[in-house]
Amino acid sequence: MKRIFNVLMIIMFILVFISFSSFANFRQEVVVDKWKIPFLNCVTGPIASIGEYMSWSANRAANEINLAGGIAGKPVKVVNYDTGVSPDKAVEEMAKLVDSALVVMGPVPEACIMASVPLAARKGLFCMTASTSYEYAIKYFPWTLSWFPPTDEKLPPITATWAKKHPDMKTVVQFLEKWACWPEMAKAHAIGIKSAGVKMLKDVEVPTDAVIFGPLVVKALAQNPDGIMLTCNAEKAAKIIIELDKNGWKDKSKILVFSSADDTSLYTTGGKYLEGVSVYNYINPDCENPRWIAFRKAYKEDHNGIEPGSLSTIYYDCVYMLKEAIENTGVTGDPTKLAKERIKIRDYCRNIKGFKGIQLTWDMKNGIPSDKGTFLFIIKNGKKKLIALAGKTK
Amino acid sequence: MEVFLAQLINGLALGSIYVLLVTGFNLMILVARIIQFAYPQFVVLSMYACWEVLRLTNNVFLAVFACISTSIVLNILSEPIFRRITNMKGIDINASFVASLGIAIVITDIMSHSLNYGFPIAFPTSWVEGSLARFGLIMISKGQLYALAGSIIAVLLFFYLLYRTKQGRLFRAIAENRFAARLIGIPIVKTSIFSYFIAGLLGGFIAILLSLLLGSASPWLGEFVALKILAVSIVAGLGNLRGGLVCGLCLGVTEAMAMGYLSGSWSNVVSFVIMLIIILIKPQGLFGTSIS
Amino acid sequence: MPTVLSYFLGFTAIYILMCWAIYLPYRVGQLYFTTVACMAIVAYFSGFAAREWGWPFIFVLLVGIAIGAIIAYILSHAIGKAPCFTVVIVGLAFIFIVKTVIENWELLGGTVGFFGIPPVNNLLLIAYILLGIVGFVIYQIDHSRLGRAASVVFVDRDAAASLGVNIKSLGMFYQTIAGAIGGMAGVLYTFLLGSLSPEFFAFAMVGSLVCMLFVGGYTTMWGVIVSAPILGGIPILLPVTISSWRQVIYGILLVLIILVRPEGLITKRMLWNLKGKNRYKTASNLVNTRREKVG
Repeated sequence: MKRIFNVLMIIMFILVFISFSSFANFRQEVVVDKWKIPFLNCVTGPIASIGEYMSWSANRAANEINLAGGIAGKPVKVVNYDTGVSPDKAVEEMAKLVDSALVVMGPVPEACIMASVPLAARKGLFCMTASTSYEYAIKYFPWTLSWFPPTDEKLPPITATWAKKHPDMKTVVQFLEKWACWPEMAKAHAIGIKSAGVKMLKDVEVPTDAVIFGPLVVKALAQNPDGIMLTCNAEKAAKIIIELDKNGWKDKSKILVFSSADDTSLYTTGGKYLEGVSVYNYINPDCENPRWIAFRKAYKEDHNGIEPGSLSTIYYDCVYMLKEAIENTGVTGDPTKLAKERIKIRDYCRNIKGFKGIQLTWDMKNGIPSDKGTFLFIIKNGKKKLIALAGKTK
Repeated sequence: MEVFLAQLINGLALGSIYVLLVTGFNLMILVARIIQFAYPQFVVLSMYACWEVLRLTNNVFLAVFACISTSIVLNILSEPIFRRITNMKGIDINASFVASLGIAIVITDIMSHSLNYGFPIAFPTSWVEGSLARFGLIMISKGQLYALAGSIIAVLLFFYLLYRTKQGRLFRAIAENRFAARLIGIPIVKTSIFSYFIAGLLGGFIAILLSLLLGSASPWLGEFVALKILAVSIVAGLGNLRGGLVCGLCLGVTEAMAMGYLSGSWSNVVSFVIMLIIILIKPQGLFGTSIS
Repeated sequence: MPTVLSYFLGFTAIYILMCWAIYLPYRVGQLYFTTVACMAIVAYFSGFAAREWGWPFIFVLLVGIAIGAIIAYILSHAIGKAPCFTVVIVGLAFIFIVKTVIENWELLGGTVGFFGIPPVNNLLLIAYILLGIVGFVIYQIDHSRLGRAASVVFVDRDAAASLGVNIKSLGMFYQTIAGAIGGMAGVLYTFLLGSLSPEFFAFAMVGSLVCMLFVGGYTTMWGVIVSAPILGGIPILLPVTISSWRQVIYGILLVLIILVRPEGLITKRMLWNLKGKNRYKTASNLVNTRREKVG
């Protein structure tokens, strides 16, 4: 028995050495006959569900592009790298890519951005951190871009629009879950509400690991608000709405759910209690664009009839943006010109003009999008019905 | 006053869940001599089974049956693992904690990986329809009532089993002194398996009450709760059933009050700081422990 | 050196340090997770000191180690000889509290995180020199009177007390060292990553540390040197489809190792056999034999 274990030990040691030596010739090849786009996504961990649909939509874009002849005539493949929401794994995955990749999609989510983008910036690798807010992206300019306009420009118009739709609403209370950039978003929400002449009551903070929501709802209702804003994750938002309903909240349209909570779990958890609730988001499910209609249909087929989540289109657009960048700048994928071509892609994406996304068309200026509107909806029969588009001029 | 009463009711409903979980957890400590850190994860997995059956068959009885049987099966399946660990020479109760930590990690990750695409599950809202009574801010929902009543009944039944039946005497004998229990001819293994069965039954029951009270579950629910359950049972004194009862309720009420009157982001810290202070002052727990 | 290798080595060094920081108090039977909280505090301190006050690395490192040790020392007055699970829950609660304080502290970036920590040259070299020093110190401790006393305490506290071992001061000693090592790991972690987020120091970290320590073997300091690179290397070496299940792999490995080889891959007995000494007699063995005779 003892001998067997000792043999096992020796095998283990050998494995370690093999693993070390395998690093020496570890090099991700940039195969010129195929575009491999690495995607630092979170396929495991607490937000694995979001990672799943982001990778679904990136793959869909890649498949569409391949059917239409690929990027510059060569097929494209999105390669998933799992960050698992763990910062050290994110850095290690990023480290695999910094020496060889042309461009990186991700990382997702925010903690992984914090951990791994400093390395990418140091090594001159452009990261399409498209699912995060402005606050995270701006820190690593020019080595990343912001998919959303600055929070304090983007959000006040939408909350103001909502407030103006309800002239009898005099006071609003906000539920705030302190997670990532949500406190910043909450501040921006409040600015918009105040600009519409409505008073903001004291925020109700939602603990990240809250299990029941009764105490929070009682705390909010004790302030006698006319309106409610929910800046917390989807499941929690749904539960708060249910709890509000049980406490006799009447006018659901005076509840505004913020974009990050407009996710599948809001609808699966909230069910019919969501009837009449206001929601804002960056995509419109009833958009007429044929690409979107096909996307939505395929998504629902693959996900038990669930509607695409709010972040689902981002990496779809992202793959198309990279296609445009590669084709229009004449990038070859040749490893010897790597540094130059990385910068070409970076500068093209950060200043792209008239980019046709799956829903909106927008421009980028120095990595910041302009003229990207936000949609305001009301939930009718479990579906979102568009009532306003705020912040888009053209 | 109105707000206070409303928060008290909320706190008691939350506390009743903690009480049930701590009771199941303490049973494992007392009889099986293990720290079953994965116990809340088993409960959450049973909730998933309940949800899946309900979705497929739309039959409440089948769902309840599936829930309870999943919980029992999971607990009994874990029995050989823990028996092997506790029977090892020179290995103490810490090893069971580490092993159950491993089991907890596996269950949580499988749930977030492959069950319902990792999305939280939601039970049909008709389970917890509306409120029973409401006076201003004071509201009692059906879910809360079921949870409170259910946990009182479950704990009473459990105490009856433990203190009024022959089986319960066997449990307590083993808890008090394993060697002596074996000497006087108590079948250790059989009783131990039966204790896993009881813990599983209790777990299934908790899963149903949680589905009623919360109306949904996510892969991370188990982990959120597991830490608090471990903390409560240590504050009360490991394996102290009555202590667990008191401390579980207190934790629920403290959390609700902290959420209601202090800032929400700090509410967990409030309860953890209180528990930390108690533990630092009384490392053996408030009500004492029989586990060395 | 490929970038991925340097990060892999960097994280391996930090993980080995952290595992040692848990290994040491476990010598006296305490699973001491407070060290992760020390790591978090020192990580934020060092990030802040380097970015805002412009302190040089070496200064940050020394002060960081001192902070870790002081925190652990103060806490150890209360939990120096507390039972294992009290120590566990104190550690977990402390991690939780530290995390919440950081999240609510705008100066430290709150939930968004702390950015822009200046990089340090030759960090990897420094990390391995420190690792060597710490390893040497732990080796000396393990082979001193203190180490032997700890072995007895692990097996039988009453016997240890009757042999004249001061359990509390022994526990305090090990916890303070663990805090200092945690602080050191925190400084290295900060400068390796370049930014910090409260989410870095979560329960997941405790899980992987426990896994590394127990798979490698908690009876000697050498176990984690084998297990940390292997377990840390899983996500790098295996294809994505498998490595995305790494938490499951960790969990199953942990359960299996406890069932099959409860003392971990590398045990004291094995090291003795490697040295060719057959008279394997440690304090724990002696006490066990004593126990068998009595029981």
